[in-house]
Amino acid sequence: MASRRGRIRFNVGGKIFETTATTLANAGRHSMLGALLDDSWNPRQPAEGEAAEAEYFIDRNPACFAVLLDLLRTGELHVPPNMPEKLLNREALFYGLLDQVRAARWGPFDGNRLQLVDSVSGRAPGDGTAIRAGPDGGCCVAHGSMVHVYDWMLEEHRPISLDYQQVNDVGYIDAESIVISARERLGKGDGGMGVFSSSTGELRHRFRVSHYDQVKSFTAGALSLGSSDYKIFASCKGRCNEYGIGVWDQITGQQVDFFYEPPGCCLGDADKLQWLDGDKCLMVATLFPRTDNCFIGLLDFRDKSVIWSWSDAGTSVSLSLDEKRVLHAIAIEDSRSICVVNQYDDLGFIDLRSNAGGVRWSSRSKLTNRKAPNEESCYPKLATHDGQLFSSMNDGISVFCGPEWVLTSTLRRSYGGSICDFSIGGDRLFALHSEENVFDVWETPPSPII
Amino acid sequence: MSAQKKRNFKIEAFKHRVELDPNYAERTWKVLEHAIHEIYNHNASGLSFEELYRNAYNMVLHKYGEKLYTGLVNTMTGHLKEIARSIEAAQGDFFLEELNVKWGDHNKALQMIRDILMYMDRTFVHSSHKTPVHELGLNIWRDNIIHSSKIQTRLLDMLLDLIHRERTGEVINRGLMRNITKMLMDLGSSVYQEDFEKPFLEVSASFYSVESQQLIECCDCGEYLRKAERRLSEEIERVSHYLDVKSEVKITSVVEGEMIANHMQRLVHMENSGLVSVLVDDKYEDLSRMYNLFRRVPNGLSTIKDVMNSHLRETGKQLVSDPEKLKDPVDFVQNLLNEKDKYDKIISKAFNNDKTFQNALNSSFEYFINLNNRSPEFISLYVDDKLRKGLKGVSEEDVEVVLDKVMMLFRYLQEKDVFEKYYKQHLAKRLLSGKSVSDDTERSMIVKLKTECGYQFTSKLEGMFTDMKTSVDTMQGFYASQYSEIGDGPTLAVQVLTTGSWPTQPNAPCNLPAEIHVICEKFRTYYLGTHTGRRLTWQTNMGTADIKATFGMGQKHELNVSTYQMCILMLFNSVDRLTYGEIEQATEIPPSDLKRCLQSLACVKGKNVLRKEPMSKDIAEDDAFYFNDKFTSKFIKVKIGTVAAQKESEPEKQETRQRVEEDRKPQIEAAIVRIMKSRRVLDHNTIVTEVTSQLQSRFLPNPVVIKKRIESLIEREFLERDKADRKLYRYLA
Repeated sequence: MASRRGRIRFNVGGKIFETTATTLANAGRHSMLGALLDDSWNPRQPAEGEAAEAEYFIDRNPACFAVLLDLLRTGELHVPPNMPEKLLNREALFYGLLDQVRAARWGPFDGNRLQLVDSVSGRAPGDGTAIRAGPDGGCCVAHGSMVHVYDWMLEEHRPISLDYQQVNDVGYIDAESIVISARERLGKGDGGMGVFSSSTGELRHRFRVSHYDQVKSFTAGALSLGSSDYKIFASCKGRCNEYGIGVWDQITGQQVDFFYEPPGCCLGDADKLQWLDGDKCLMVATLFPRTDNCFIGLLDFRDKSVIWSWSDAGTSVSLSLDEKRVLHAIAIEDSRSICVVNQYDDLGFIDLRSNAGGVRWSSRSKLTNRKAPNEESCYPKLATHDGQLFSSMNDGISVFCGPEWVLTSTLRRSYGGSICDFSIGGDRLFALHSEENVFDVWETPPSPII
Repeated sequence: MSAQKKRNFKIEAFKHRVELDPNYAERTWKVLEHAIHEIYNHNASGLSFEELYRNAYNMVLHKYGEKLYTGLVNTMTGHLKEIARSIEAAQGDFFLEELNVKWGDHNKALQMIRDILMYMDRTFVHSSHKTPVHELGLNIWRDNIIHSSKIQTRLLDMLLDLIHRERTGEVINRGLMRNITKMLMDLGSSVYQEDFEKPFLEVSASFYSVESQQLIECCDCGEYLRKAERRLSEEIERVSHYLDVKSEVKITSVVEGEMIANHMQRLVHMENSGLVSVLVDDKYEDLSRMYNLFRRVPNGLSTIKDVMNSHLRETGKQLVSDPEKLKDPVDFVQNLLNEKDKYDKIISKAFNNDKTFQNALNSSFEYFINLNNRSPEFISLYVDDKLRKGLKGVSEEDVEVVLDKVMMLFRYLQEKDVFEKYYKQHLAKRLLSGKSVSDDTERSMIVKLKTECGYQFTSKLEGMFTDMKTSVDTMQGFYASQYSEIGDGPTLAVQVLTTGSWPTQPNAPCNLPAEIHVICEKFRTYYLGTHTGRRLTWQTNMGTADIKATFGMGQKHELNVSTYQMCILMLFNSVDRLTYGEIEQATEIPPSDLKRCLQSLACVKGKNVLRKEPMSKDIAEDDAFYFNDKFTSKFIKVKIGTVAAQKESEPEKQETRQRVEEDRKPQIEAAIVRIMKSRRVLDHNTIVTEVTSQLQSRFLPNPVVIKKRIESLIEREFLERDKADRKLYRYLA
């Protein structure tokens, strides 16, 4: 019982701990310790001296309690080397302190201070398609028709699949919900898109597309999740030439819109969709090798118009090796441009403010050695986070900063082969390797003590 | 045998895996169920939180989450059913008390149960998408207590009854009410709305419908509105004490609808206490209350506005058309100003300076002021009255305030050019007779007119001032140069007026006495000598003279007379008797003026310096006039006024009208030409509207006149009709 001057005594698995009510207040009322000390469970306030010797007994591991008590006292997490993380997490869950543990584990994301904290190998056959970071530090990896889900403790949950069809893209709606886009199975009405629970792997909702009031099956490609207006965008291919971008509401799951592919624009086959919050429009990129002619456009759904577009059609006459082909693209709203990358890992920029501009290539390829032609390689990928630009090339990821996008860091690990996809989220970076089925987890360590 | 077999089987199984005690889950659940019972029975002091939490944790850990959850639902439902029975059993007023107490207990118990099952809430409930414990507890309470058939209607009836009792003046337990409504809100906004708010609003509507019906039968408008206002504030207070804040808008709109919107017309038109009577009596408080209440309902303010407007137009019409009131122009304008002041005050004091009301006021004034086409003249006369020197009790500051108000009326005038005409006449009279109150005030009036109507409007008026000033300089120059020659003769003061700037007067010359004639000729020579190329004509009908006269008893008086009168009196210097004919012959004053002058010299008591034979009021052709030897006055200075009409007589009025119409013609033509020059081709109706809008600041042109002007312009080949479409006019460069 709370003794004088707010001192509290615990007996955890036989070991005595003493702490103060203020330290325990950091646990919050909605934790086991908070409830334990609440007045409703201590109806008789200790009379003078009488209850001073009393203590709370808790039948748990004292070593873990020591670590967690230290966390409550200092806000920092120091796990002794001999204590398995899983053990600590289990104890933290018992006390209701798992959120505090997660918050103390790694710091806010900074591309220049990343440390490799783990490499997780999977057992799926075949190459990985995509890896996506969840908002709470978990991730999911798509292999063929399966998606493997890991929580932030990197514990694997039940894998998910949509009728065992080839998965094209995955995305997190929130920490609890994962949306999958998959190929349609001819004549069966399988495939399409679905939302799954990330913890139990059960299918919660299947997205439908209807054309002229008729529900049709479809193959779903790239996904984009609009954060501000709770919409899901996906490139869709129907069998009767119903190509375009479908839009659904994240909350109701109902289809709210469909942008049919206008002539000259490839929408149904897009490689990448990106919702631009500031401009209220969607970037669609359909790139080599899916098409011969790369197309990048910005779509305004309010009046169903393509407000900006770029294409290399016409410029590419011959398919010579030296020619620069756009292989991935990402819109950077702050600098009003789209960043693209080619097969030599050159970065290029297209100005969003003018409609007829070309690609302004930076000449980085001269600095880095070109790959040997027969080495198995992956197409480069791009990502941005908080003013930093990330580009994967071969087995490493380059970090670029500043208005001129200066190369500031390189993330590389010695094995696993080249990186086929990477993703940033929940203050972590996940990189998926193609040769061995393994993904890396990069984190920014908590701030230094001083 | 069978027992042995069984044992063997058991041993077999034991080797494969450790089976948890099959009764474990049941046993653990019993412990937790017992704890829940104890919590509901206020007996929780003997429970150990740590043990219970650990038990619940273990159940979830060993995959008995589902059992734990359904067990919780069943146990809690059982307890709440029991509670429902005890609430149902409560008699009368204790029902709400009991409900409130039990709700408090349930909340406390729910909190403790959630504490025990916190681990389940975090893991099992989360991953299996079930309702969290706290919400579950509220839902079970809602379904078993609030929606129980025996409680639902009873609760609603009691709440509505309490509110009804409070409305009829009883004191109720507001704290209890607050707790109960808070409970309904906690259970979800839909519960509050469906189970309480909706019926509450319905009951309120019928209550206020009945009450307003009763009140309107027995109260006058002011009292009714006072009561409505009180009801409204009572409802707002009620919401703040024990209802959801979101209810405020809904309940006030019910009260507004029932008490105000439904009776709006009847209230406004109520006899002896409606809007018109409070307007007449300047009851600011009532007006302000009416404004604030009516503002809350749709069309409320426009109802007030319409009634005020029609009343204002009606009274205004009487003001401007009552022949009794037309007799004195000053009173006429003063009445208008008073009316304006009255309504300005009402709008600022009671109507929150509402713009729409101000606009309505302006449009009403504009409407009725222009009903009387003498308004421009009267307003000018009013200004003349205020600007005349020697009016008692009028300081310059006061005049300034009055002028500002007059400008307000001026703005309403449509025929501003008519006003200008009159103003010019009146100003001329003031300036020439030197009766203007002060130069500054005159000028400030001009400035006001200038800001209102532009430079053109006042350029001539300003010219008049310039003339006055240069005249003073000219006279100084004249006397400085001719000082030696003039000697002892009469003093002459000449005002040189520019033709055109001043109102034109019929030039009626007369024979000046020789002494005067000489000095006038000297001035003419001087003036024409200093200014070449000018023509000077004498306006003898507008001058004045001061003459010294000695009467029979030797008393001396200074007589202040007009130029005509001076000419007449000078004749009597040589003879004592003259007939009318002789005077007319000698002076050549036009007969109408001559008669007026003689009348004022001979027939006004106390100022009769002449004697008439025979004695009568009117002047006849064969009358004879004598010098009045016996004239006495207690003043040294005697002012002999001319019988002059302030207000214009009917023929004069006609003449002014005609002059105005004449002046308008070139203005309309100029406007037509201006418009056509820029637009080249236009149809008739567009020209009329454009001309009207261009000239609006000066007067409202008559479409018939515009048509005539267009025709005249076509004749003079400024315009032509389009050959294909006769409705179109074409500008000829």
